[in-house]
Amino acid sequence: MKRFRQISFGLALAASTVGFGSTASAANICFAFQDLETEFWVASHKAIVETLTEMGHSVIERNATEDVNRQLEQVRDCVAQGVDGIILIPQDGESAVTIVKEATSNDVPIVVFNRPPANNDNGVIVVADNAAIAETAAGFVLEQAIAAAPSDAKLHAVVIVGDLGDTNAIQRKKGFEAAVAKFPERFDVTEVASDWDAATALANLEAAVTAKPKIDAMFTSSDFLFPTIRSVLEPRGMWKKSGEEGHIPLAGLDGDATACKLIKEGYVDATGVQDLYFEAEASVNAIVKAIEAGETDPNEVIADPGFALTTANLAEREMDMWGCKLLAEGFLDN
Amino acid sequence: MSSSPVPRRELKDKAVDLLLSDQFVLYLSIFYVLLLAPFLPMLVTPANLVNVLSNMWPLLIVAIGQTFVLAIGGIDLSQGAAIALTSVLGAVLITGAADPATFANTPIWGWLLTDAGGPLAGVDHGVVLAIAAMLVAAVVIGLINGMAVAMFAMPAFIVTLVAMMIFSAFALWLTQSGNVANLPDDFIRLGRGDIVSVYFGAKEEAKIARRAIYSLVTYPMVIAMCVALAAHMLLNRTVFGSQVLAIGMNRKAAEISGVRVRRIIIAVFVLSAVCAMIGGLLFAARLEAGRPTLGGGSFLLDVIGAAVIGGTSLFGGKAKVIWTFFGVMFYVIMASSLSAMNLSAFQIDMVKGGIILCAALLDVLRTRLKRERVR
Amino acid sequence: MTDLLSLQGLSKSWFGIPANRDVSFSVREASVLGIIGQNGAGKSTLMNMIGGVVKPTSGHMLWRGLPYEPAGAADATRIGIAFIHQELNLFTNLSVAENLYIDGFPRRMGLIDWKRINERSRQVLSRLSLDFDPSVEVGRLSPGERQLVEIARALHNEASLLIFDEPTTSLTPRETERLFATIENLKSQGCTIIYISHILSDVQRLCDDIVVLRDGELVSKGTITEFPIPLMIRSMIGRDMGGMFPPRSNQPQGATVLEARGLTQPGVIEDVDLTVHEGEILGLFGLMGAGRSELARVLFGLDKCAKGTISLKGRPLEGPVRAHIEAGMAFVTENRREEGLMMDASVAENLTLASLAAFGRGPFALIDRDRVAERTERMREELNIKASDIHSQPAKALSGGNQQKVVIGKWQLRDPDLFILDEPTRGVDVGAKYEIYSLIDQIAARGGGIMMISSELEELMGMADRIVVMNRGEIKGQVLRQDFDRERILALAFGEIAE
Repeated sequence: MKRFRQISFGLALAASTVGFGSTASAANICFAFQDLETEFWVASHKAIVETLTEMGHSVIERNATEDVNRQLEQVRDCVAQGVDGIILIPQDGESAVTIVKEATSNDVPIVVFNRPPANNDNGVIVVADNAAIAETAAGFVLEQAIAAAPSDAKLHAVVIVGDLGDTNAIQRKKGFEAAVAKFPERFDVTEVASDWDAATALANLEAAVTAKPKIDAMFTSSDFLFPTIRSVLEPRGMWKKSGEEGHIPLAGLDGDATACKLIKEGYVDATGVQDLYFEAEASVNAIVKAIEAGETDPNEVIADPGFALTTANLAEREMDMWGCKLLAEGFLDN
Repeated sequence: MSSSPVPRRELKDKAVDLLLSDQFVLYLSIFYVLLLAPFLPMLVTPANLVNVLSNMWPLLIVAIGQTFVLAIGGIDLSQGAAIALTSVLGAVLITGAADPATFANTPIWGWLLTDAGGPLAGVDHGVVLAIAAMLVAAVVIGLINGMAVAMFAMPAFIVTLVAMMIFSAFALWLTQSGNVANLPDDFIRLGRGDIVSVYFGAKEEAKIARRAIYSLVTYPMVIAMCVALAAHMLLNRTVFGSQVLAIGMNRKAAEISGVRVRRIIIAVFVLSAVCAMIGGLLFAARLEAGRPTLGGGSFLLDVIGAAVIGGTSLFGGKAKVIWTFFGVMFYVIMASSLSAMNLSAFQIDMVKGGIILCAALLDVLRTRLKRERVR
Repeated sequence: MTDLLSLQGLSKSWFGIPANRDVSFSVREASVLGIIGQNGAGKSTLMNMIGGVVKPTSGHMLWRGLPYEPAGAADATRIGIAFIHQELNLFTNLSVAENLYIDGFPRRMGLIDWKRINERSRQVLSRLSLDFDPSVEVGRLSPGERQLVEIARALHNEASLLIFDEPTTSLTPRETERLFATIENLKSQGCTIIYISHILSDVQRLCDDIVVLRDGELVSKGTITEFPIPLMIRSMIGRDMGGMFPPRSNQPQGATVLEARGLTQPGVIEDVDLTVHEGEILGLFGLMGAGRSELARVLFGLDKCAKGTISLKGRPLEGPVRAHIEAGMAFVTENRREEGLMMDASVAENLTLASLAAFGRGPFALIDRDRVAERTERMREELNIKASDIHSQPAKALSGGNQQKVVIGKWQLRDPDLFILDEPTRGVDVGAKYEIYSLIDQIAARGGGIMMISSELEELMGMADRIVVMNRGEIKGQVLRQDFDRERILALAFGEIAE
């Protein structure tokens, strides 16, 4: 099939069309991702590309540098190049719908990795159950706060939410809210907007902490904000290890290398971990399966249950967490 | 070769002719494709050609607007912001549904945008009305730019830089960086609808695979060609166009000769914003959402780069729509070929920058050749 | 006296078309050689060969008797040739001293040695008897002073041959005097000078020897005593011209075209009354800074006036330039390059600029190209514009005279009632001047009113029916043609007498 694509235009006119459903022992797979800004995406990218190459498939990589327009054009290019399947990390839920439709309407199977489209009508969607993971991680620190306080005291919890145009951010916020709902009437919640941007988070968190400095628990929708949180808390003497006086139970989500290190050091109590390796493998398997079955529009949702890495289970689950793996590989050393 | 060698000067003259011709960039594009085709056969597959064309139309429309501003010796950096703002505005008006989780804390929630979508959702000719509203917004943006440049004699660079910052921030604020989806099909069709598509292949195929069908004539193509034709007539055939070029060549002389310089400058900026809006309409339609981040990033580089590659002078007075047409075409082909080479996004931008630099150098060369020819 | 530079059979062709053919002459050391010729006679190519910018096709040059084959402009500068250009090559945002040292600042311990620069600069300036401070910014100097700075730069670079190309075009009479004194001074200090000018009286006054070029060839040469001005003209244009000016072919009629009353713009013009009649050429004379061009700008609506009224053919005029144009005014400004022409646009595009709307057809004002072609072609014939193809040849490729014809033609297409001509023959060579004068005469003969501003009194005396003289923004008096008297007009202009 690849060979066919290399026959010139004139021949293509005369020749009969492409046969579909051919076995794809060595498939051509287009991997279109939005950017490689955070270590989570770096690790995902690495996991997917390595898995695919190990299986003997060839990968065409397309980086959209956060431009959805460009991503659409890149996916179209991939379709034109005659790839057998596409793995997509979209910029956001809306553009994901459009791009998935673009691929499936051209009979190219597509798998969406981690950032789900705004609807599940097309494509294979591999997604972490963000709400559940957030609930577990947030629940862990809320429990700690309850345990440390008198039984009738009203407690103050801070949640840093992501860009609410992003489904993941919404789900994580929902998970946090579900965790709070388990302790009715016990928590006042301050919501801090980050728009997935460290500078925005910094400004808003500064304001929130200044307004109400007594904090009993904090949950960030993404681990990449831990350094930001630290830079707000440390000057105020609120950045303490677990067990030290004034420690704020702190939870995050993603499970990156920094989070792993901070949990080991005791500054952070829990992080919800998306099982990136599970997701990468599921994505790769799904696309390969679709190609082999000649299915042009496979449609299913593969949920990643994830787990929470806490100070309590650190010993046994450490190596399931991608961030700790990166840490062990020396990711933060340079 | 043969016994009578071609005189060298004649050959050189022919080369100069080619370099100075309006179609030079077209020849360059063809040469480029022919040069690369043996190594990148996918470049000339019908599927890729269809892609190149579909990527070309919206960019072409925006670049045409820019061409007018460049023609008076100005520059419009606010086109991307105009795209963002008008696309969000149009989408908010006609969206069929909006998610409160995203939009509940936007300033437009409740009075303009609700769960049930925008005010024009489901209204007869709602799409037309929304486009009219986008047009009005674009005209306002253009008027603000144009008045500041014409009346207060401020440099276009600063005026449009400020406009870019303000309008794109305004668009982000309106939707709190949310993307407005759930647009009606009539709207979406403008961005991706085929009018004529073709299938190259055997007739006996029972089920034609969708990706073996190639769109030939699409709505964006029709819209872009109409805009290009109208713009060509306007710039190169009308009194208005002649006055635009006159201002670009020598504003003082135009003023003394009775050209309504201010009015024309304002009109040119309005035209630029309107073109941006039409291009943005196509972008929004094909992405099926109004986005406050459309037209950001290196988009402006694409627009100005394409116009300059075509041969439009940044100093004004020298511009043709056909140049911009070929410039955009070359630019899009180049981008497509670079990505086919599996270069990374960063390498692609570096090469693009280099090619724009070459275009600018080429322009200097062409100007010099023209001057020599005149002697 | 020895020869500093001799040219021997110098020729240059561009694409087979000769620009110079077999030119031979010598420049004696410490003398002033005048080179005259019409535009296109080959003066610039010749100078470019001397300056090393252009390589001769054949022939050679000797510098102090030794072969001189410059590979580039730097070679010419090195042996001591300096050009004082028509358009000055100074950095207006830098000081005089910085301009002198622009090619290389002396340093001391890695830093620019300002003390030495200023000292040296002062020495060079004093050689030219210039008394201004070397630290003053060039942009604040008058055109005449800037020219002297340019000369100072040449001296600073130890030039022994200074080539002046039309040095007086932008100078006031007083500055011109100063320049001539400087040139005399330089000569006495042993510098050799080549002086190129269209102003033949200057050439006669300043030069020791004359070389006349025509069509790229040297047609005659000799000492200045052998060349009275009529002979210079005859040699340049290759025929007798029968005077510098065409005879006026009509008498002004009675009807008033332009009437201005009490025009005042504080500090610029003061209570100016002016009338121009049909068929009349009104000359407006005054020294530089007398307010002539400023008055023209006010009349045309380019500048506002605080007081006073303007009426054209009895109708009062106010508002923007457009209103004035539509009422029937035309303005040929003194600055052709910056205000008159689109240098990169074709002749036809320039011709139609002022009357574009008239060529629009239909609701979209599509340009009627046939009519444009027809009208511009007619204008080309009428004005005898020498251009190969008016639709492709840009204005900048034309000679000064033809450029001026294009500016006049641009207005002629509107058939205006009043022409304001500000320095209409500036930068125009002798032969073309005559054509411009004829054109002006024809416009008047057809009943147009003309207000002609000029710094060349001879020109006004040759053409005008009446001369109005300005001094410091005021009108000092007027002189009718039959009473024209050089002394009297100049006295009025200097404000020594008033009527």
